[in-house]
Amino acid sequence: MIAFDALLKKLKPKCDEIIAQYEQPRSALLPLVHLFQQHEGYASSEAQHAIAEMLALSPAVVESTVSFYTLFYRRPIGKYMLQVCRGLACTLNGAEDIMAYFREQLGIGHLQTTPDGLFSYEEVECLAACDRATCMQVNLNFVYDLTPQMIDDMLAAMRAGKYSVAPLAQTATPPRTWMPVQDGEVARGDKSDGAQDQPAPNNPGGLDRDGVIMLDRIIADEARFKGRTRERLANVEPALADAIEK
Amino acid sequence: MPVTKVLTQGIGEADLRDMKVYRKRGGYQQLERAFKQMKPADVQSACERSGLRGRGGAGFPTGKKWSFLPPEIRPRYLVCNCDEAEPGTFKDRMLLEETPHLVLEGILLGAYAIESHHAFIYIRGEFKRGYEVFMEALAQARKAGFVGKGLFGTKYDLDVTVHRGAGAYICGEETALLNSLEGKRGEPRLKPPFPAVQGLYSKPTVVNNVETLAYLVPILEHGPQWFASVGTERSKGYKVVSISGHVKNPGNYEVPLGTPMRELLEIAGGLRDGRTLRAIQPGGGSSACIFEEHLDLPYDYESLAKVGSMLGSGAVVVMDDTTDFVRAAFNLVRFFAHESCGQCTPCREGGHWLERVLHRFLENRGLRSDMEMLARVSHEITGINLCPLGDSIEPFLASVLKRFPEQFESRIARETFHAAQRDGH
Repeated sequence: MIAFDALLKKLKPKCDEIIAQYEQPRSALLPLVHLFQQHEGYASSEAQHAIAEMLALSPAVVESTVSFYTLFYRRPIGKYMLQVCRGLACTLNGAEDIMAYFREQLGIGHLQTTPDGLFSYEEVECLAACDRATCMQVNLNFVYDLTPQMIDDMLAAMRAGKYSVAPLAQTATPPRTWMPVQDGEVARGDKSDGAQDQPAPNNPGGLDRDGVIMLDRIIADEARFKGRTRERLANVEPALADAIEK
Repeated sequence: MPVTKVLTQGIGEADLRDMKVYRKRGGYQQLERAFKQMKPADVQSACERSGLRGRGGAGFPTGKKWSFLPPEIRPRYLVCNCDEAEPGTFKDRMLLEETPHLVLEGILLGAYAIESHHAFIYIRGEFKRGYEVFMEALAQARKAGFVGKGLFGTKYDLDVTVHRGAGAYICGEETALLNSLEGKRGEPRLKPPFPAVQGLYSKPTVVNNVETLAYLVPILEHGPQWFASVGTERSKGYKVVSISGHVKNPGNYEVPLGTPMRELLEIAGGLRDGRTLRAIQPGGGSSACIFEEHLDLPYDYESLAKVGSMLGSGAVVVMDDTTDFVRAAFNLVRFFAHESCGQCTPCREGGHWLERVLHRFLENRGLRSDMEMLARVSHEITGINLCPLGDSIEPFLASVLKRFPEQFESRIARETFHAAQRDGH
């Protein structure tokens, strides 16, 4: 907290300068978050509260806004943010192999940070460098025409502290991910047992664990699914039905 | 070869980031001439007569957009949209990084034309270098007296504020951009009122693309007739086209509108050796594919619209016979699902459902009924959202489903298993 107060004091004149650029103070929200994130490595809760105070907004409004933008991190991230493009043009030119290579070399997946706090890895949407596919950004600096050899050299240089792009500020230890919910969890269908896969209009409940369409299961297994809950329980789990009765 | 150099003139030959170099090549002369010899209405009229249409994606006539500003309400704002994120587009980033003074001169001219005293440029958060380059250019221009108070000895004040985005494709939509500029979540607004009537801070606002504004400089230099004499009847002038994908020399190429697709392909070096063309996405991730039989089509707004596609932002993605169209469709649907702001249910939910169904195909677990469902759901989420993002899912998906059904069919699995289940075995 003392460290943050010192930072706030240091940045205050710059903040006032940014706010003065706009007819309405709230417009300065994004630039201010950028500013604090540049110094802290992420948009800390303290920073968000300080910004809320400066702009006379509720902290909830600031957090809601910050949460909308993918370049704002509400939890600490690694010193090198590796953002590999997964856009169409890059995919046509082998981005999936590049991404697989990164995952393998780093030992982490999409939206994760290595345990040593050095690397954060994210697969991002089109970075507007399709003429030099496959591409990526390291701390928002472009790297083009990626090859496994380049990745090896890059990671080695970063580990040795000799990479051409400066590391990000890091004021706190990063957790495994900076995202509250991971994209991958949804795509993999990590949901309740009942709906393991895609519910769809003609496919209620999706597929269950055995790969059987839920609707088919219901039709095939009458005893288990027909009738009222209590009656079904009496058939399948008499003990449980009794317990509820009591 | 119809490659021309208007905006791209000097890029790669000289360091146009240096104001001295830019001025030596005639830079800022049109700005000075406009301020000293022309009224704002003259600039506006030149733009209107040139036939310039918005280069960001919608292709709306720029002069007409300006004419919607209510005459009596002040202040007015000009916002330059540099939130370029349409898959396959990389022209604005090049202009911003390579010739920032041209972009700035265009912004200043645009602001003068609509009598705005405060212009903004919204730069995509990922364009860190572009932001730094532009900030430096702006500082140089400010020092030279091209931005600030009393420009060129007139009483006209004009300031430019640079605003960095923070990673959100939707902020390229003009009302979402304005919300983001106001420090809010980048969610599109209900239209009307259109920004021309109630935009930034509820004041009349014009949002123009980087390329659109940059073209104001050559239009003033050579005259509106020069610009209008190029292109087709309703698609005038030049366009910077970003060509990528399976071509030998991907890159930005500036061509007159109406250049045949076949020539565009040749400009980019053609297909790689031994490959054959399968599909071309002519206008960014939101456009439907066109195919071999469309190669003689002129590259302009009307011709592409006629075959059910669009010119959009001018991003041409070429796909050859090595392309897995299920994967390509999954890629773009995932993009739109990921970038949906979440305000409208059809776009927020529909995108993710389609993504998951396509993911099922990728795992060879597609269902027979899924193909019909993909077409139906993507169609049903179209046209019922606040902004065009949800509508952007259907064109590519529908065009490849129709053209390459075998690629989807080959991933339908376990039909016998499902049949057995249904029969109660």
